[in-house]
Amino acid sequence: MKQLRSNWLYSLILVFLIAFPFIVGALTESSPTGVPRGDRMIMRGESVRWQAVLIEVFILSILAMSYNLMFGFTGVISFGHALFFGSAGYIIGLALEYTALDTGAALILGSLAAFVICGGVGLMIGFVSLRLRGVYFTIFTLAVAEMFYIFFSRFALTKAEDGFAVTELPVWLDPSQSRLTFYYIVLALFVLTFLFIRRLVNSPTGAVFKAIRENEDRALAIGYNTLRFKLMAIVIAGMLAALAGILQVLLNKKIGPEMLSVGYTIDPLLNTIIGGIGTFAGPVIGTAGLHLLDTFFRDATLVIGGSTIQVANVWGLVLGLIFILVVIVFPQGVVGTWQSWRLKRQIRHLESRMAVEPSPAPESG
Amino acid sequence: MRRHTSVLVIIAIIVGLLAYSFFNSRSLGSFGITVLSGLFQGMLLFLVASGMSIVFGLMDILNMAQGTYFMVGTYVAYDIQHAGGLIDLTASVPDPNLRFFIAVVGAILVGAGLGAILERGLLRPLYARPVFQLVLTFGVALVLTEIITLVWSTTPYSWTETFGVREGFFELFGQRFSTYRLFVVGMGFLLIISIALLLQRSRIGIIIRAGVEDSEMVESLGINVRAVFTLVFTLGCAVAALGGAVAAPFLGASTTIGSTFLLQAIAVVVLGGMGSYVGTAVGSIMVGLAIAVAQDAAIGTSFSILPSITPMLLLILILLVRPSGLFGSNR
Repeated sequence: MKQLRSNWLYSLILVFLIAFPFIVGALTESSPTGVPRGDRMIMRGESVRWQAVLIEVFILSILAMSYNLMFGFTGVISFGHALFFGSAGYIIGLALEYTALDTGAALILGSLAAFVICGGVGLMIGFVSLRLRGVYFTIFTLAVAEMFYIFFSRFALTKAEDGFAVTELPVWLDPSQSRLTFYYIVLALFVLTFLFIRRLVNSPTGAVFKAIRENEDRALAIGYNTLRFKLMAIVIAGMLAALAGILQVLLNKKIGPEMLSVGYTIDPLLNTIIGGIGTFAGPVIGTAGLHLLDTFFRDATLVIGGSTIQVANVWGLVLGLIFILVVIVFPQGVVGTWQSWRLKRQIRHLESRMAVEPSPAPESG
Repeated sequence: MRRHTSVLVIIAIIVGLLAYSFFNSRSLGSFGITVLSGLFQGMLLFLVASGMSIVFGLMDILNMAQGTYFMVGTYVAYDIQHAGGLIDLTASVPDPNLRFFIAVVGAILVGAGLGAILERGLLRPLYARPVFQLVLTFGVALVLTEIITLVWSTTPYSWTETFGVREGFFELFGQRFSTYRLFVVGMGFLLIISIALLLQRSRIGIIIRAGVEDSEMVESLGINVRAVFTLVFTLGCAVAALGGAVAAPFLGASTTIGSTFLLQAIAVVVLGGMGSYVGTAVGSIMVGLAIAVAQDAAIGTSFSILPSITPMLLLILILLVRPSGLFGSNR
């Protein structure tokens, strides 16, 4: 009961997200499953369109949450998170398109391989660079990610810069056939990731993560092997980012080097900082807010003093400026600022109550 | 003792690269061209990496926007030199050589101005939160790239304007060598020496070196370290923009230059040892030579990707032998 009371907001949002395809469907009189034509389904209508938007929000949220696990809870900054995201995408894409396995087996084996390889790569980068203090890890992640990006944008087997399409998907999973199923699968994975990270961070292991973020030397002095805990955080974050990468490829049915580009590192970084570093809901709120804004205003034009500006052209600049502003003015992000504001209000409330009715003096004796 | 092994590693790598290039090239002339090209790229790298290294040593900020300042340099120089664009000097300054000089000075000034704005306006409020400084420089790189895209669009420019210095060449061993490259290499060496002299022999240099050791201690001696921070940061950005300006006649201007040079500079700074000036100077030349040799080796093979990953391969190789870089201290 206590659990339910403290989580009522989350439960409400979850119920809304489960009902969302049908709500949009009812409001716009469109079918949540798309329009049937022959034995195929055509993805047309507002409901399926908005499902796709939300699916992408969920995927990018998983990516941002995994980034937050490293950056927000453990204090390890990576500038190469796209490495895990994109590598996992390439692995699942190669498994589906370039192996003789049937699609189900390729999906399972490809996902497993993606998790293992991304975890392994995270372990290796961490092992080489984390023993040195300071920015070595940050630099290494950036360097390795860029190396992979350069490699895959020239690698002939994976069609270099063009990337390749993923066509062999089982019908029940195919977002252009049964998008509603895919929506619920991604939603379930998103909720599981959220709960998993919350469970992890609230566990004794998570306490060590936070201790490392606050003061690594002290955590070391108490006797924790901080290297091992940092490696653990990176491997878990890498695997979660791999999950996001796999889902992204399944959604877009296409994989190209842009999934390894620095853009997919900036995206979770930005979303986490704007939403609130080291909070559970922050990365999700940041991702949802920025992504929905992007969706709404992408095709809009601004008229300033006779000159029209295509919003899509300045969107990157706007994001960058928001980013700088948040880093300088609201470093705690939306959720963090709100939490500290609420805390201050509670303190003020308590203080005023104490001033009105002073507590009776303790009886002596 | 440690320095001893580092020097041996450096000599081994440079001699190895030169020997490989020498025995693979058909003539003494083409060997010379490879070496000159390597030194040229090494000098460009030095211009980007030196500011990064000194700033890191002094202020513990790794400036992720350093490559972007280089890119700003290429665009400003291109814009001033060529007709059209924001600043059109072709009518008022018809002499292309003089215009190139103005272009270089303009790039330096723009780089210095942007550097001062970044340090004063954006990084200074964050000295209490060092993690955010790193993140902020990353954001600044993003914003500057977006602004460049808005002003000059994403289409790469290739340098079309010719001027005397760029076209000049001299002949040696039956090959034509570019005077311009030689000029840049000479200027680079001059800069390496003058920055070293500045650091070793001047009062400001003593303050900088003391600040690298312990900036709080320097501050407690009554020296305005913050002003030194601003000066060094601004100079670092100005030198990076200078690098971009002198590189522009060969590289042109494009929006991918920034991240390319950032990565190469990072490789240089790390393999030289974070914060070590000597390490950065030696590292730039080494990486430059390695890239040139790799470019030479990759011609005609399907392995055209080799030159772009060479800096990272060299970095990994050196970190395996020396985990904190060639001249780095264990921190």
